[in-house]
Order: sequence, then structure tokens, then C-alpha cells
Amino acid sequence: MMMASMVANGNRDGRQGEALVLKGVDPETCMIVFKNHWAQVVKILEKHDPLRSNTSSNMAALGVIGLSSGGPMRFGGPIPGDEASAVQNYVEHILFLLMEEDAGQAGAMGPILEFVVMENVMERLFLWSLRRQFTDDMKLEQLKMYEMIVGQARQPLLHHKPVLRPLMMLLSSCSGTAGPEVEAELVSLLNQLCCVLAKDQSVLELFFHTSEDQGAANFLIFSLLIPFIHREGLVGQQARDALLLIMSLSAENQRVAQHIAENTYFCPVLATGLSGLYSSLPTKLEVPGEEWHCLHREDWLQMPTLVQFLNSLEFCNAVIQVAHPNIRDQLVSYIYNGFLVPVLAPALHKPTLEEVMTTTAYLDLFVRSVSEPVLLQTFLSFILLHVHILDTLVHILDTLSRINTPFQLGTVSLALFQTLIGLYCEDVMLQLILRYLIPCNHMMLSQRRVVKERDFYSVSAAKILALTPSCCSPEHSPPPLRQLDSILWSKGTDNSPNTGTMETEETFLEEDGSCYSCVIGSEIYLDVNYLHYLYNARLGISSCTRACQVWSAPYDGEDPPPEEYQPSALEEAGARGRQAQTVNPKRSHPHPRPRPPCPPQTTDPAPTNQLELEWDDSYDAGPVVSLEAATAESSRPPQLPAAEPPKHIQEMRRTAIMLVKGSYIEESDFQDDVMVYDLVAKKDARDTVDRRRPSRETLPESEESEIDSEFNLEEDHFKESSLQEKDEVPLSNGLSLPLHPTNMEVNSSEVTKGSKEVKAHVADHNSNLQSPSAEVGDDLMGQYEELIRTLGSDEAGTGGSSPVKTVDKEFRNPVVTPMEEDEVDFSSFSMDTPELEKPHSSLFGTKLRSGSTRSHSVPFTGPFVSVLLSRLENMLDNSLHVNLLLTGILAQLAAYPQPLLQSFLLNTNMVFQPSVRSLYQVLASLKNQIEQQASTKKDFPKLITSAQHCLLARESSLKGQDTNSGDSRECSPLEAGRMMKSSPPPQPKTISLARTEVFATVLFTEFLKELAAIAQEHSILSHVPMEE
Amino acid sequence: MNLNPFWSMSTNTVRKRSDGEEQSGEQQQPRASPARPSFGKKQLPSIPKNAVPITKPASPAAMAQLANGTHASYGPFYLEYSLLAEFTLVIKQKLPGIYVQPSYKSALMWFGVIFIRHGLYQDGVFKFTVYIPDNYPDGECPRVVFDIPVFHPLVDPVSGELDVRRAFTKWRRNHNHIWQVLMYARTVFYKINTMEPLNPEAAVLFFRYDKDVQLFKSKVVDSVKLCNSHLFDQPKMDDPYAISFSSWNPAIHDEAKERMFTHKRRPEDHQKGLQVSGLSWVKPGSTQPFSRDDNPPLS
Repeated sequence: MMMASMVANGNRDGRQGEALVLKGVDPETCMIVFKNHWAQVVKILEKHDPLRSNTSSNMAALGVIGLSSGGPMRFGGPIPGDEASAVQNYVEHILFLLMEEDAGQAGAMGPILEFVVMENVMERLFLWSLRRQFTDDMKLEQLKMYEMIVGQARQPLLHHKPVLRPLMMLLSSCSGTAGPEVEAELVSLLNQLCCVLAKDQSVLELFFHTSEDQGAANFLIFSLLIPFIHREGLVGQQARDALLLIMSLSAENQRVAQHIAENTYFCPVLATGLSGLYSSLPTKLEVPGEEWHCLHREDWLQMPTLVQFLNSLEFCNAVIQVAHPNIRDQLVSYIYNGFLVPVLAPALHKPTLEEVMTTTAYLDLFVRSVSEPVLLQTFLSFILLHVHILDTLVHILDTLSRINTPFQLGTVSLALFQTLIGLYCEDVMLQLILRYLIPCNHMMLSQRRVVKERDFYSVSAAKILALTPSCCSPEHSPPPLRQLDSILWSKGTDNSPNTGTMETEETFLEEDGSCYSCVIGSEIYLDVNYLHYLYNARLGISSCTRACQVWSAPYDGEDPPPEEYQPSALEEAGARGRQAQTVNPKRSHPHPRPRPPCPPQTTDPAPTNQLELEWDDSYDAGPVVSLEAATAESSRPPQLPAAEPPKHIQEMRRTAIMLVKGSYIEESDFQDDVMVYDLVAKKDARDTVDRRRPSRETLPESEESEIDSEFNLEEDHFKESSLQEKDEVPLSNGLSLPLHPTNMEVNSSEVTKGSKEVKAHVADHNSNLQSPSAEVGDDLMGQYEELIRTLGSDEAGTGGSSPVKTVDKEFRNPVVTPMEEDEVDFSSFSMDTPELEKPHSSLFGTKLRSGSTRSHSVPFTGPFVSVLLSRLENMLDNSLHVNLLLTGILAQLAAYPQPLLQSFLLNTNMVFQPSVRSLYQVLASLKNQIEQQASTKKDFPKLITSAQHCLLARESSLKGQDTNSGDSRECSPLEAGRMMKSSPPPQPKTISLARTEVFATVLFTEFLKELAAIAQEHSILSHVPMEE
Repeated sequence: MNLNPFWSMSTNTVRKRSDGEEQSGEQQQPRASPARPSFGKKQLPSIPKNAVPITKPASPAAMAQLANGTHASYGPFYLEYSLLAEFTLVIKQKLPGIYVQPSYKSALMWFGVIFIRHGLYQDGVFKFTVYIPDNYPDGECPRVVFDIPVFHPLVDPVSGELDVRRAFTKWRRNHNHIWQVLMYARTVFYKINTMEPLNPEAAVLFFRYDKDVQLFKSKVVDSVKLCNSHLFDQPKMDDPYAISFSSWNPAIHDEAKERMFTHKRRPEDHQKGLQVSGLSWVKPGSTQPFSRDDNPPLS
């Protein structure tokens, strides 16, 4: 027994020489030594105690006084140094004896501990150090002392108030201002205490009680950790680890959870801290090259501020993972309302492209960094549903949909969408694509039954592969790179089934799979790299299929039933309202008159002159009309006045058209032009309104908003006969006003820059209130009533400006004006924000978007798909990396097992509505473009070969990098060279990347194989129920 | 039954002899294979005998594609996947008492066994081979040949071939599938048809069934006995995926049996170990994102 404990000693305290001292010493001797030392200490202590009192209650009182005064306390003059060091010496021994003592029988206190408790040793020692100058050194000493005994004692010490209470006093005296060393030690001790807590929850009660003794019912060790949440380096890491321990404690302990959620600033500090850290990130990234499109690990490791942000985000993620649901929900809500909405949303609407691009890249990185579903959901619902009020209502999604921008912003946005699609998230897919496909309006009615049909004989794959340009055809002239790779297909020789001897022998050359089974004896070249595609397709589809098992519906054209999700009249009206502000200018007429009432069904699709170019469809949900077609267009039935799209959209569209027409040359042209992006946006909405109703210009602004409503009512009655008309109804801006949590004015001191931004934003918002810019077309009556209700009695009485003022006031009411940090009412952050804010009940968030599926008359597959397809159509002019992203996204989409998506993207037999563009059509038109190019350029085949070599080299260099960077998610999906692995070393022939059409041709050919392989694998995988 | 694509990446390049498991393919767990990207070693089917060159235009559609040259290169893939699709369909049908396993060497040849559970042929276990024409699906209907000619009006007493063509006079793509052939092969043992018999003796005997019950019956019983006595013979085809039977060997079969019974419980375990997991907050029956009730409130 003795030996065992000594051995344990030796192991545990090997670093301490003193451990040896106690070897073989019996407990009684220890006790005697202890008492002896303590007597010496007490002698010195009492000498300097002015009150000569040693009752613990007095001590405690003094301690509290001492703490609250904060300064050094001295009684009876300075203490001589020799006495101080003598005490120090004795104390070391005393504590050592305490640590080394074993617990008594049945968990009783050992005699030394009992003595310590009875004599109130720890408290008196603490008081002693207070009496001397309570410097940082002294604190450090005390902290270390506790760290040692807590960490190494063999019996639980913290259960005893006389030990715990001085510890708590020490801790609270160390909060506030202290040097970095003390902070480090403090956090280290706190971390240790949390470890003890995590192991032994019975201490928890005591922690609460001890705190109560001090008058504040708080959870001291927790509160003390909070300021270190966002700290860099080891201290921050230790603090976060400690907090996480408490978080997991909260999951089991309702009291802890409740305390943290209700009485601490934990969640708000965490969330606003994100805002603060975000604001210190560079607003513009130095982009390494044109090819750059997302923040890789090696990118952000170079940016300390970003690393710090990601640490905190990771911490949030971890908290959400382990904490009690109350804390989790609160934190998520603060992150949404305290970071995403007030900080990230405005950042996505910064005036320059670079800034927006940077924010987009950050957002992409954040989404990739977050793993906890609840947090991911928060980010996703922000991305998919949030409506940002700038000067006009802007869906974040719309903003991000600017993937059509032919510049880096577009590329970065593409990368973000690729991330989103790679999440296998039903909500994302629903919002981006599926909702437009559910009604099945994009196909001929007779085709609905085809949706679920399986392609037994690879007909679609064959049709897709048949688009292979002749210059790349495997038979035409097998490219040198492939020759070795080709499988020679055996026709088999003279095998009778009965003998069963197949003479064809497969040879396996095992070297890392670089050689394939080859069968000699025929002349048919098989494209071996097609096997790679099949293999990848199989992996992709099966993991996607497995992931989608958690989805709510199969999306097979029957469930959800197409009939039930036809865009209803009301929804449609809402959608139209939103579209209205962006309808092509060519279609707005100076003298509006209502369209003759007619049910939507009978409206002719009139797909006249629909050009393939769909530009920024998020704004322009209507068919885009080409410039040439404009005249033809004007012969269409006149429509209600439509507001023009925001100027920056027009601007972008113009540039796009130029680009498509080939007249576009310099990027710098656009750099200037594109500033329009937001500069003009400031005035956009009002301009829009003004253009439509010039006579109103002079009215007081707020009256205008009232009149808006009346105007809407007037309009409303003549529209009753035609639901279709509602689409042009202007919105009143009433409902979404209180969207933005004003909370950010309340701000902890930690968030400085961020809060400024937010204040600016709130100001923006307010100015927005005064210009009825936004248009809403949904359920006018209801909304009008809502408006009246919101505005209350003020509305009628106090004249023009009242409504806005009222809203303004209400809006500001919960705002706490700047005050001391302590008094900040954090609960006003998010708890009381109006119900309207709820993203999934948001008027604009849902109805408008869901409505933006078109009516029966204009089948539409959604802005995302059309933007992707129009960019794809431009493939020959796109740079290589844009094409890699595009084809990667499309291939990823094609791997989804949902029959609606599959049939739309891959089924070449499907008959779509004439106005719907399919992937196959785009591919076919690309093939034609390529054939045309090939026929006009003599050296095309040579160039193709060079491009293949170049891509192969790129692939091998990428593969080299790949092993270094541990970035989990691949950013360039279709690695061009993937196709040509294990080919002979390329003969370097230089070809400029500027020959985009050549690279695009190679890529196109590979993309066809990729798609065909996916189609083939679908035919065998998607139709078998996943049994395992 | 476990989906077991017969082209599964053969990570075991050493050909294994099927060791008496009823479904020798069990050893080739397709899920295990992707662990190692061995796609290079995927087997492509060779084309057995009487094979018309694959380049032969099989259908008007194929003809059109031939001009492009892609069909020649990819045709074998189309064929293979067509057969794979057929095979998955067979699995989906869960035909009672029928097991098939495509051959290791060619996707155009499937080994099968049929268990007759009641009726005249009760307790019969008949092994057969399905031969699929290599211009599938545009050729004739697949042939079904029993290893041992069963005494049956529709089975050729010499070759053992079942008269399938009477049921599929013209093989129509998209309408006819191989599972129907298998289904037919099963049905003939339950509902006996004597029209234009391949085995006139059997037909005649059966025709006189009422009078000569015992004679026909005894012939059938003899035939069943004969077949069953050859059950443990080596498979006729030297192919690792050929179906072979062996008597119960606890050392081998107990474990396999165990696995089959625990199989049902596996889905959950499997779910847990999943790396890839999708996300959904959509309430069933809704098409609104984040419509589920358990979403945390964001405001």
C-alpha cells in the first residue's frame, strides 16, 4: 500500500524533487510537520494583523472590502521582506503536504485537509497576500499555488468552502485589469477548474453557492472566461477549451444552461465578436491570379485576421455542437441577427466589385468551415432567404447570383454555389432549382410520365457522346496521348458456351492501376479514360443518393405533386411584383393600360425572339429580349408600366451583351462601368418610382408612401378580373421595415469597427424608410391593413411624415443608447425582434421567390439554371478555370438522383416546352460552334493536341499540390487532366491560355464523357432502392 | 438480395473459384471495392461465340451515331450498361425462387438457378444459363438453357433449351426485359403448356395426364431426381461466377448464414458510419426551404 502510493508519487510528481522527501514518511509525521509550519506562519500573520482577529467571517468581510476597493491593502505598515519570504517558504511546504495527503477512509478528509478547513488556512493566506502589496506577482503566485493544489491534490479540495471561497475571491480579484502573465495564468487555472467540473459535477453546486455568498449569483469561472473568447494564441485556445467543457456540461445541466442563456453575455459576445473580427478582415483581397476563385487553406493561413476569425467561427461551431439547445438556439440567433444580417449583408452590397468579391469568397469559406448542421442552416437560410434592405430590397441570393458577371466576382460566386451544391442540402436545391421543376411546366404535358423512366439502353449517353466534335473524335484520329491507353476490344474468338473457355486473357499490370486490362485482337479503340468517368460518376451518384436519403421528398414528378405546386395566382402576383421592377425596359410603355383580362392559362407562351442570353436572371425573370428583337417585341400586347431594372443591372446586361456579341474587349472598360453596381443603386429605386409616376415627385415622401397604398388599391380593383395583372403592382414598403435588428447599436466594446458599420447601416435603413422604393405585390389588401395597424392612430393625424416617424420610433425603441458595457441589454439583440423577421415566414423571402416560378404560360427553370446554361453557352470564350467551375457544377448537379433534375439535365429524349432551354441544346449549339471553328482554322487539330498536353501538365502539377494542401473540399472539380492520367509525358508545346476556344473544345469533349458516364450510371444506380 | 453488379471492380484479380455458396457473387461486395480506386481493372465483357462485331449497327439510332464514330468507341459501354440495367431490374423484381448471376467473363451470359416450391415439379432445383444476343436489345430474345434437360414439354430433351421464343416472338426494346424471361422460365413449371412442344413425349404424356397421371408424374419425379442428384456437380462452365452447390459445411456456411441473418440490422449501423450525409430542413409535404418545425428560431 505504502509502496504503491510512493510509486504513484514518483510518477506523478517526478518533476518535483521534493516528492522524494516524503518517501516513507508516515501521515502522523506529516501532520506534525504541517502544524509546526503553520504555527510559524500564523505567528507572522498575526504580527501584522491590525485587528488580531482570525475569525473567518471577519476575514471574508475584509476580503470583500479589499476586493472592491481594488487597491493594495496594508495594515500596520510595510511587511519586512524576510518575514514575507519566510511565510512563502513555510507555505510551500504546507501546500506540498496538503497535496500529498491521501483521503481518509470512505472519502473522509485527511487530517491535514481537515486542519486546513478548520483553521481556514487558505483564506488567511489569501488575506495575507492582500495585505502585502497585491501586485501582479502576488496574484501570479497565488494563482500558481491554486493551480498546483487543484491539479495535484489526491483528495477533492474544492468541495470545501474554506478552500473554494478564497479561490473565488482570488479569481474575481484577478479579473479586471491585469498583465498578460496574470491573464495567462488565470485562464490556465480556470481551464483546470473546468476540467475538474467536467469530471465531478458535484462541485458545480458549490461554485454557484460560493458566488452567491459574494452577492452576485453568477457563475464566476464562466464569466471570467468570456472576455478571452476571441483572444489569439494559447490563452484564447485554453479559454475556448474551458468554455467548451462548460458547454457540454450545460447540455446535461439545465441550471447551467439557463444561467448561461439568461444571465450571461456569452452568446452575444460570441456573435458580436464575429462581427468585430470580421470588420478587421481585409476588405479587398490580393488575388494571386485570374484563376483564383476561392480561399484555400494555404491562402487563409497567410492572413492572421482570417485565421482568428475562423478560430472563433470554429468555436461557435463547437459550442453549437455540444451546448444545451437553449444556448445553441440563442447563439444561432445572435449569429444571424448580430453578424450575418447587420455585417455580412451590407458587406455583400459594397460599392466595388472587389469588395463584393472578397465578401463572397469569405462567405464561401465560412460555409465550408462550418460543419454543425444548425449553424450551417443559419448561414444557408441567410444566403437563400434573407432580404437585405439597401435602397431596394435585395435578396442575398440574387446578389450572389451574379455569377454571370464575366469577371472574378462571377467566378468566386460560382465557387460559392459549388460549395452550396456540394452540401447535398434539400433546401438549397429546392430554392435554387427544384422549386422551378416541381410544377413540371418546363416539359410537355405528355412528358410527365417520362420523368421517372429509366434509360435502359444508354440512349441519352449515346446522344451526348455523339456531340463529340469531329476533331476530337476517338476514331477520327486517336490523339497521341490516348493511344497507349486504348483498350482493344476483343470480339472473342471461338468460344462455345459449353466449353466455357474464353481465350481472351486479361492482363493485369498492377502498378498503381496505371495500366488497364487490355485485350489484343481487334481494331476498336476504347476510350479508357471513360472508365475513370464511369468510376467517378458511380462514386458521385452513390454518395449523393445516400446523402439525399434524409430529404423530405423524392422529387420524381409525383411527389411533391406538380398540380399542388403550380404557382398560385397570389403567389404569382407576388412574383410578378418583384419581376416588375426589372422587366426589360423595352417592354415598358409610356402610356400604360391594363392588359385585357384573361386567365393565365390561355395566355400564349409567345416565346417570340427569346434570345438565349439570359442575363442575371435573378433580376430578370422574364424572357430576355435581344436588342434586335426589340422592335418585334414592341408589337406585343401592351402591358402595364414596368419599372426599369436597377441601373447596375442594366449596365451589367449591356456589358454582357457586348461580350456575347464579341464587341467586348477590355476588362478595364467594365471595371469603370461596373462601379455603377452600387453607386447608382442609391438612386435606383426612387428613380424607378419617379419614372413611373413623375407627378408624385413633389409630394412629401411619407405621403407618397400613403398614396402608394391608395394607388395600389385603385389599381387593385380593375385588376381583380385578371390575376395576371397583379404582377405589376407596386409594393408598399410597410411590412419588412423592422427587419433589421437595431441591436447593433448596442454593442459591447469589443465590436468597434463592426458596430460602426452597423450603425451606418441602420442609418441607411432609416433613409430607406423615407423613400418608398421597394415594390411589393403580394396580397395588397392584407398588407395595407397591416400597414395601418402598424402605424396606428398616428397615421391619420400628424400629417405627412408621421407614418415613417412612427415606424422609425418603434424601430428605435428597443435601442439602448450607448452606455456602460455592464448595462447593455443584450436581450434586446434578438429576442424581441418582431415576428416578421423570421426568414421562413418572410413575405419576400418565401412568397416572392416561390412565386418567381412562372405561370403556365412562361415555363421557366429558374434563374440559377439559366445563368449556368448561358455561361456554358459562352464556353468557347470563357477562360479555362471558369469552364472548369461551370462544368464541375453541372456535373455535380447531374449526379443528383432526383428524377426531376436528372430528367431535366440528362434525358435527351425529353421534350421540353419550346421556351425552355435544356443542357442538351446548349451542348449541341456548342458543338456547332466548335465545328465551325475547326473548319475555319487549319491548325485546329494541332492546337487541340497542344492543349491536351498543357492540361495534362496542369493536372500533374495540381496532383502534386493536392497532396500538400489538406483542403478538404476540392475546388476545381473536373480536373481537366483527370482524363489523361497515366499517359506518356507530354511533349511540351506551348499554347497560350488565351486560346480559350481550343481549351474549351478539349474540355467540352471531356465534359460530354463526364455527363454520359453520369447518365449511364444513373441508369443502373438510381433505380435500385438503396437497401443498405 | 444484395445488389451485386457483376462488373464490380475486381480488386481480387486472382480469380476465385466460387466455393459452394449459393450465390457465389456474395464474395464480391461492391461497396468494398471503391475503397481502392481500381477502376483501371474493371472488367469489360468479352463477347462470346456467334458474336457479330459490335460495330454492326444495331438500330437506326445507332446507325446515325456511327457516322460520328463515337458509337464504335462507346458501344460496348452502352451494351454493358444496358445489361447492368437489366440485371438491376431483375433484382428489383425479387422473382421468387430464382437467382441469377452474370458470368465473370461476359455480361452476355448469366448463370441461374430456379427452385420449384410446389406443383408437379416441387423440390426441383434446376440450373440454367441465359444467353443474351450481343446486339441486345435489338436482337432476338435471350435463350435459356437448362444444364440438365428437364423433362418438360417446352424443354428440348437434348440441348436442354427452353422454348422462350413462343412467349417473346419479337423482342421489343423497352417493353421486354430479361426478368420477364426468367419469370417465364419459372411459370412453365407451374402452368404447363403443351402446344407445339419441344419434347413431344412429355407433351403427349401430359396431354393424357388425366388417364396417365402416374406415368407423367413419375417421369417428372425421375427428372427432378436426376437434376438434384447432379446438384453438387462442378458447374458446366469454368467461370468463377458460375453457380455451384456444395453440401453444408459449417466451417464455411455457418458464418455466411450468420451474416445473412444479421444483414437486416445493418442499415442503421451503416447510417451511423456514413461520412456523407445530406441535409434537409424541409417539412415533408412542403416546398418551402427551412419549413420544418424544429428549426431554431433565428429571431
